[in-house]
Amino acid sequence: MIVLGIESTAHTFGVGIFDENRGIVGESRKNYVPNKGGILPREVAQFFSEVAGNAIKEAISKANISIDDLDGIGVALGPGMGPQLRVGASVARALSVKYNKPLIPVNHGIAHLEIARYLTKMRDPVILYVSGGNSIVTTYVDGRYRVFGETLDIALGNLLDTFAREVNLGPPYIVNGNHVVDLCADKGKFMKGFPYIVKGQDVSYSGLLTHAIRLKKQGYNLNDICYTLREIAFSSISEVTERCVAHTNKKEIILTGGVAANKLLNEKLTKMALKQGASYMPVPFKYSGDNGVMIALTALYELKYGIKIDPEKAYINQRWRIDEVDIPWYYSTI
Amino acid sequence: MVLFNDLINLESFLKFQLLKRGAESEIRLGSFADVKAIYKIRTKKDYMEEDLDIELRYSRTKKEAKILSIAYANGVNVPRIYAVYPSIGVIVMEYIYGITLKDLLINGNDESLKFSYLAGKELAKIHKSGIVHNDFTTSNIIIKEQEVYIIDFGLSEYSANIEDRAVDIHLYKRAVESTHARISSIIFNEFRKGYIDHLGSDKGEEIIKRSREIELRGRYVGERKTVWKP
Repeated sequence: MIVLGIESTAHTFGVGIFDENRGIVGESRKNYVPNKGGILPREVAQFFSEVAGNAIKEAISKANISIDDLDGIGVALGPGMGPQLRVGASVARALSVKYNKPLIPVNHGIAHLEIARYLTKMRDPVILYVSGGNSIVTTYVDGRYRVFGETLDIALGNLLDTFAREVNLGPPYIVNGNHVVDLCADKGKFMKGFPYIVKGQDVSYSGLLTHAIRLKKQGYNLNDICYTLREIAFSSISEVTERCVAHTNKKEIILTGGVAANKLLNEKLTKMALKQGASYMPVPFKYSGDNGVMIALTALYELKYGIKIDPEKAYINQRWRIDEVDIPWYYSTI
Repeated sequence: MVLFNDLINLESFLKFQLLKRGAESEIRLGSFADVKAIYKIRTKKDYMEEDLDIELRYSRTKKEAKILSIAYANGVNVPRIYAVYPSIGVIVMEYIYGITLKDLLINGNDESLKFSYLAGKELAKIHKSGIVHNDFTTSNIIIKEQEVYIIDFGLSEYSANIEDRAVDIHLYKRAVESTHARISSIIFNEFRKGYIDHLGSDKGEEIIKRSREIELRGRYVGERKTVWKP
């Protein structure tokens, strides 16, 4: 089976093609980069609708197949931002109807988890999923990915980006593969007195953000603030992940999502895994951010278990939680 | 309670039999003045900045000991404290020999509903003492001789705040849901009864209601309340 997947939940329009026998065979990504500020959903959606056609053509030509060879069209219907999701959904519905291919609804978060499991070959891990919009510690129990811990307010990626914006370090937030807060922190040292909030298996970042912005306004060294902000944010999410590992007794840990490429977070999780006697791997850098391949992979799993959706009923769902999705394919391997 | 930080060497404690290595600490079984005793040793987390790690271990040890003794004084079923050494992150306390509620539920014990009720009762007593537990999961609830004991006050805080109390309920509910997903609603319902019976129905209901709101506040919940919705 060969499935095409479309990703359009945030700032990446991604198309990926996954072949059951050959693995990842083709993909295309179009990233929207704002000139200033954050993401304006309407503008991104406009950009997506301009690049969608080319992205699909590129992915198909790279895969060296014709569109007739496809067995299904997968699309991320959520969670994410409405205007962008609607572009991806419209394109997918059109392809499905025009070429008479089954349409497969994919949860964007689940796709991040599945690509990580597929590429790291870890079959039953505790997964830390951190990105601009999500900070979730999850693992599979009894048919679904259960959320063991998550942020009570803002996500880790959002914390770093918002802080960078508030103190004029960005945008752009990523420079040569490094986050601007990381670059700024390299020359810093640890400051005492920052709020470190872990409630059970949840973290909270909004107090940390406010504290850091306040210190900057009071004239403290920005390098030190960045260093400490990052140290506390990563330490607390690592601690929560460690709790989940201890609680479930699982022996594998994966990091996935847009923040997965972060060097310091990787170092912390490596050390933590060693302490817990577990093995650790991040999802390979190329597939840490949003991409179409992860949607195609997940859609392929779903198609094999007969999960599809009528194009007329393929509504987007901006707040579709990962623990609402049944995972019948969990123990199967492609 | 004894407080003499400088006379103690951690090495001798580390020779005691290891019962459990948690995320936070090692639980070792040793003896204290000829009785069996639990040594809770907060271990170094080498993935953290050293200053942060030391600060967290010192303050968490000291606070946990203080809170445990307050809970004990208020009649909550908790281990008694024998000694505290914050500088090396060690608390010596009573050994409570039993099975965790988590294991009991996994094994599907007929009495699990009764113990879920009693867990609600103990949480009500904890809250009445002006404390919130903050890690109120089924792994931290021990059944011994038909009684429910609460352990691991490592993340506890002094608070009578509705929001903070509701977090405890939320944590228990989620622990039950995540490890015992299929029968979670029945188990939680018994817990809720135990809690409300011992805290009073007005306050109890209010806190349970808030815990539901906390659940909905999580990101990407379908029924989540937002400011702009009518």
